[in-house]
Amino acid sequence: MNIVKKLEQKKMENTIPAKDRIIAWPRMGRIDIPLKALLLSLGAKVVIPPANSNEALEIGVRNSIEGICLPYKLNLANYIMALDKGANTLMMFQAPGSCRLGNYTKMAQKTLKAMGYEFDMVIFDMYKSKMKQTLHAFWHVTHCINPWRYYKGFSLGFNKFFAIDTAERLLFYTRPRELHKGDAEKCYNKWLKITDETNSVWKAKKLKKQVIEDFKKIPIDKNKKVPVVYLIGEFFVLLDPYTNQNIEKELGDMGVEVQRQIMFGDWLEHVLKPSFFYRKESHRERSVRYAKKYMKRAIGGECIETIGDTVYAAKHGIDGIIHISPFSCMPEIVAQNILPKVSREEDIPTLSLVLDEQTGKAGYITRIEAFIDLIKRKQLKKFNNM
Amino acid sequence: MKKVLKNNLVGIPRAISYYHNYPFYYGFFKSLGIEIVLSDKTTTKTINDGSKYVVSDTCLPIKVFTGHVINLINKGCEAIFIPSIQSTGYKINNCSKIRGLPEIIRNVIDKPFTMIEPTLDKTENISFKDFCEQTANAFGITDKQEIKKAIDNGWKIYNSFWEMTKSGVSYTDALENAINGKIIKKTVDIVKPISVAIMAHGYNLFDERISMNIIRKLEKMNVKVYTSLNVSYNDSISSIHSLGEIQYWANELELTGTAAYYLLNNKVDGIIALSTFGCGPDSLMVDEMMYHCKEAGMPLIHLTIDEHTGEAGFITRIEAFTDMLLRKKRMHLDKKSFDSKEHIQNKKIVEIKKEKILTSSIK
Repeated sequence: MNIVKKLEQKKMENTIPAKDRIIAWPRMGRIDIPLKALLLSLGAKVVIPPANSNEALEIGVRNSIEGICLPYKLNLANYIMALDKGANTLMMFQAPGSCRLGNYTKMAQKTLKAMGYEFDMVIFDMYKSKMKQTLHAFWHVTHCINPWRYYKGFSLGFNKFFAIDTAERLLFYTRPRELHKGDAEKCYNKWLKITDETNSVWKAKKLKKQVIEDFKKIPIDKNKKVPVVYLIGEFFVLLDPYTNQNIEKELGDMGVEVQRQIMFGDWLEHVLKPSFFYRKESHRERSVRYAKKYMKRAIGGECIETIGDTVYAAKHGIDGIIHISPFSCMPEIVAQNILPKVSREEDIPTLSLVLDEQTGKAGYITRIEAFIDLIKRKQLKKFNNM
Repeated sequence: MKKVLKNNLVGIPRAISYYHNYPFYYGFFKSLGIEIVLSDKTTTKTINDGSKYVVSDTCLPIKVFTGHVINLINKGCEAIFIPSIQSTGYKINNCSKIRGLPEIIRNVIDKPFTMIEPTLDKTENISFKDFCEQTANAFGITDKQEIKKAIDNGWKIYNSFWEMTKSGVSYTDALENAINGKIIKKTVDIVKPISVAIMAHGYNLFDERISMNIIRKLEKMNVKVYTSLNVSYNDSISSIHSLGEIQYWANELELTGTAAYYLLNNKVDGIIALSTFGCGPDSLMVDEMMYHCKEAGMPLIHLTIDEHTGEAGFITRIEAFTDMLLRKKRMHLDKKSFDSKEHIQNKKIVEIKKEKILTSSIK
């Protein structure tokens, strides 16, 4: 038992004094903005690795094993790039029991140490007592004991998350309907920048409202018939625009409204908020309820969310489902097996796309285009019948 | 459900959890008065049948499992036992595909049959007793005393099976004798020049079609083979800990545990890692072992198989590996004899085996 305890302690290494720490974390979409705000307000120094790109992927592929999934390769590349830029503390969360994600940090730690880097890895477990674990991890890296700073950091972080999520949702809504191509994108980028620069809680709280107002100013064609597609699948691939080859933009430009059920802010709120504060039905609970006919138990990863969302979409008049997952993702393979039946019984078209570092963009777009054509034709048929 | 009761028949697919847990299932169902129908042994047809139903990304063992379920349905089986083994300890989870076996089968096979799908999830406090009760309840048996008796009977057969395999009895012999209530012991141990440990899932290794009979092939090449069946639970878990790892996967003992035990004991000359293409847990566990083997200087070969693997190429790779092990050992012993100045005239490996038997007698 002692060994197990010792190994548990390995999760929060402590070789570097708190004031010398320079912190980095893996990138996924835009989570760098809120996390940066949080850590800066706790008085820490941070390094942000460059956004995921072909170069990063190459580094990741070179240093990781063959059979591991795509998100790990990118995570590892982020660590390496951050360490090269001068970081000495790496932060990551892990959720045991989900899938291979629970092993990411262990593997990365070993690989990087074998490569000769010196650093501290701080891992927080997202299994039970999440808020306590998270606070402990942030205390561990900063040694900040001022509660006001924690309040400021977390409230800045959360508000920025919500602002980004809102901007993203509005972007998905506006992009297919806008009159001048590129307006929505421009507005979104502008608000990302403003969100990044905001430094006071008071201003951060107003962000969400301002974003909504600003998006309203973009001229759109309100009467345009736009097919609506749900984007579901694996968490990382959904949230990282590089990995999913910016599928949201491609779909938006084709004149399709994308809706995504997994939003980082929502997920984080559900995970971190103590259950007595979180009164609404969480995404997971809703998915379990809707997926009951097809799945009786959660099997880790986002499998049950995928199935639940598909059924939910079918019951709420959504036109189609695009399901994306990295190659050899275990929970999503189960979901892929179940989806055809759901599609048949709930009468909703689905398209499963598997992504890895070899995915060619042209073939990918062709498949999406064909799928969108199918949806549009189906919609037309429905109107004609009416 | 009534039909099942009338027949009192349960079909068990010869895949996944069958390979390690069948002795228990046999004792359990027999004590409850339920007859077992097993599916036929895996053939290429089984794999092809299974592949028709699941998506192409699914791994080979699941395709084989689906094929076996189809086989049972074709045999006229109405109740099929498909357990969902979620976790075997606190935070020790199984692979998602094994956890979701009933979910996959329910949604891909569109034929009328009753699925008996008990859940074992120790992380969420569903204990093994609950697992057995769920199974018995599906047959309409709710008497707790009867279930307890059945569990005891299951353990009895399971334990005698493990006792035999640990003493070195081969898998098929041990299974046959355990079911017949006999316990045999291996008395004579044939000495072989080199020995290897195979780290693989039971459902890959003991399935003669999937593993292409690797154990027999190696024995023909005059190699002694150790598998996960020769290592006890405590040994493998303590070996994992002494390598500085913690158990993460439910079936990690079959892979990391076995390899770690033989690596630390220096009992074997090399390790063969056998895994199927696209296996998630294996990709991590084999890599972990590769890292430790490199540090200890133990040769390790990673063989990946899928439904298209050609047997000829497979044999070549094993042969090359065993040749390399033999050469390495010979060189090592030559060097040793020079150092100690005991001039060994006969350098044939057979001579030196005696030393090996003394240091590593089985059990």
